[in-house]
Amino acid sequence: MINKNLIIYLSILIFGLAAPFVFPAFKVQLSILCVLIILSITWNIQGGEMGYNSFGNILFYGLGMYLCASVQVGMFFPLAEWTESGGEKTFVHTPAQFFQGFGVGLAVAAIVPTIVAGLIGYSILGLRGHYFAICTLGLGVAAGEISGGIEIIGAGQGFTTPPFPNIGGLEARGEFFYFCSFITLVLTFLAVKSIYSTRFKLVLNAIRDNEDKAEAMGIQTMKYKIIGWMISAFFCGLAGGIMGGLVGYIDSTDVAFDGREMGVFMVLMAILGGKGTLWGPVIGATLFHIFKEGFWTFFLGWQYVALGVLIVVIVIYFPEGIMGWLREKYPERFGEVIDEADRKAQVELK
Amino acid sequence: MKIKNYIVTFVSAIALLLSTSAISFAKVVGDKIILGAAVSLTGKYSSNGVHTQNGYNMAVERINSMGGVKVGGKTYKFDIIYYDDESNPKRAAQLAERLISQDKVEFMLGPYSSGLTKAMAPVTEKYGVPMVEANGASRSLFTKGYKYLFAVLAPANLYLDVAIRTAVELNGGKGVKIAQAFEQDAFSQDVRLGILDAAKETGSEIIIDDKLPKELNDMAATLAKVKVAKPDVLVVSGHTKGALTAIRQIAEMKVDVPMLAMTHCDAAKLSKQHGKNSQYALCASQWHKTLTYKDKWFKDGMTYDADFTKMFGYAPPYQAAESSAALLVFKDAFERANSFDQKKVRDALAATDMQTFYGNIKFAPGGQNVSKPMVLFQVICDSSGKCENKVVAPLKWASAKLIHPIPKWSER
Repeated sequence: MINKNLIIYLSILIFGLAAPFVFPAFKVQLSILCVLIILSITWNIQGGEMGYNSFGNILFYGLGMYLCASVQVGMFFPLAEWTESGGEKTFVHTPAQFFQGFGVGLAVAAIVPTIVAGLIGYSILGLRGHYFAICTLGLGVAAGEISGGIEIIGAGQGFTTPPFPNIGGLEARGEFFYFCSFITLVLTFLAVKSIYSTRFKLVLNAIRDNEDKAEAMGIQTMKYKIIGWMISAFFCGLAGGIMGGLVGYIDSTDVAFDGREMGVFMVLMAILGGKGTLWGPVIGATLFHIFKEGFWTFFLGWQYVALGVLIVVIVIYFPEGIMGWLREKYPERFGEVIDEADRKAQVELK
Repeated sequence: MKIKNYIVTFVSAIALLLSTSAISFAKVVGDKIILGAAVSLTGKYSSNGVHTQNGYNMAVERINSMGGVKVGGKTYKFDIIYYDDESNPKRAAQLAERLISQDKVEFMLGPYSSGLTKAMAPVTEKYGVPMVEANGASRSLFTKGYKYLFAVLAPANLYLDVAIRTAVELNGGKGVKIAQAFEQDAFSQDVRLGILDAAKETGSEIIIDDKLPKELNDMAATLAKVKVAKPDVLVVSGHTKGALTAIRQIAEMKVDVPMLAMTHCDAAKLSKQHGKNSQYALCASQWHKTLTYKDKWFKDGMTYDADFTKMFGYAPPYQAAESSAALLVFKDAFERANSFDQKKVRDALAATDMQTFYGNIKFAPGGQNVSKPMVLFQVICDSSGKCENKVVAPLKWASAKLIHPIPKWSER
């Protein structure tokens, strides 16, 4: 069994490393796919394992995006002049400056959202159910409106991130951002996988199944909820930072705090794949991305209709997601043993 | 169970098919020059996106039917690959990348709105793909040193500059009190900067300076302030929705202001949608059908207006006219370059100096069109309630006299 898993992991890793060279024209789509998977894996920590349907993870993603770009510019040039509405002076990063700035920017983009998650989590995670969902929904919207009014990060004008330095030919930029996102994805997956193999996951599940009982058993639920959210924030921030560099232009509500698209997609992808599983969000995000790109290309004008149909199909036929459906169909492959004799006995009892 | 199986198989089969089949176009296939364009067919800019697309299509049809483009002794026809950018900059940047690296497009037309153009320009610049855009007016597009970006329109900060200067002139050269409300997007914020500059130069005072959200359908708070503060000029900019919202609520709240200056009145079909309520609104426009520019393909503004109306069933707003002009610029540049080499075409574009029905076109080193002034028109209604846009400034083009100040609601 271990060998079989190892083969799967290795082949995915090899595919991931080779992909930009095998499909050079699809680098941007592949990078975005990695970001989508990161978002849906981290959403699953709240929505799937903990039972807290968060629409607020987009906050960390947007924060990461703005922070990374601001640091990258601000480390070497006056940020206010770079973005100052209309002034928008142009400074050129040397390659060294670009990469140093981006590296430090990513670090900040990961750390600050984590701290923010800790701070706001303390109050917001006290809410439950629909109240939590609505409150987090407000977080993303508010962040978008507020950031749209801050002049130093470009306000309504948007923020053009530093252009990629002129080295390594035309393909270098795409490859750089692809590997950034792919490596972050691998790190996210490994981190989440190792977390799921500890008691931490059981605590999250206990919170999902019955928070009061979990508390009565002596578990400090608040502590675990906050830590869970901080982990999500860390990787969402990283994903946001990379996405900002990849897109090249940050707009407050349409790119950074894009709750209407990214914020909803991350939920949809996790549910499509099967929430509360490790692989569900990965599969969901991949299928979703392929589906979306396909419809955008071949059925222009119908893509939102198709998206609507997809959601309906998921809800009606796969309420537990693809992983949930597979599990129901082939329980033995998930290590679940069904004692037929016992089941028959129970049926007869009824 | 069976149905589910089929669905899964079907979906995955389609997914596989789509993911592997890369359709490839080239810049020039046979006798076709293929241009790439991402326009907003859905989302908040969808109505303007359609104007842009119609403008492009009309010009493609016209140029093709009138002999096409002659390069190297051969005749080529234009063709455009469209994608929907959903009014989203993230999507626009992605589509630019896709048009270039997957569809192998080597020449691009611009999207609608400054924000989306800002997102696409770094991509086209990186690949050295010449882009002629007709709908991104933000000044910051032209200060980034882009070499492959050309805009046929005047920059956004000039849109309402004339309005302020006119108001000051009518005030005997003394500064006026300005109230302004702008949407939080690249274009409107640039219009705002233009007003700030004009206010500074004329000694005018800005007494209300509000920001409006992107999904704009209420600005009652600003208007309530205007009612109390009584400014001399009220400036509103927020694309089509901004114009519609402003007129609707000004009429509802009976806000009296001597001058109302806006953008996007014709794209919003104000005079048609709101009739007499929109009367006296002063609008910045890149183009108006009564201007006397001429060219070979569309003849002049009036003919363009008539042909467009016949083809699409509504009168062309300036967004359509400028989009059509972008194609004329491309045709001209291809013929002068006499080549499909991107560098040569780029140089030919930079050297453009021509007159089209839409106006004179000559690019500054930053890429903006410097030889075409903005015009201001006013919505003027006759006694039967039929409203029309009449050019009132600059005086050279004026077909009517500016009505100032706007009569109070109680006297209308």
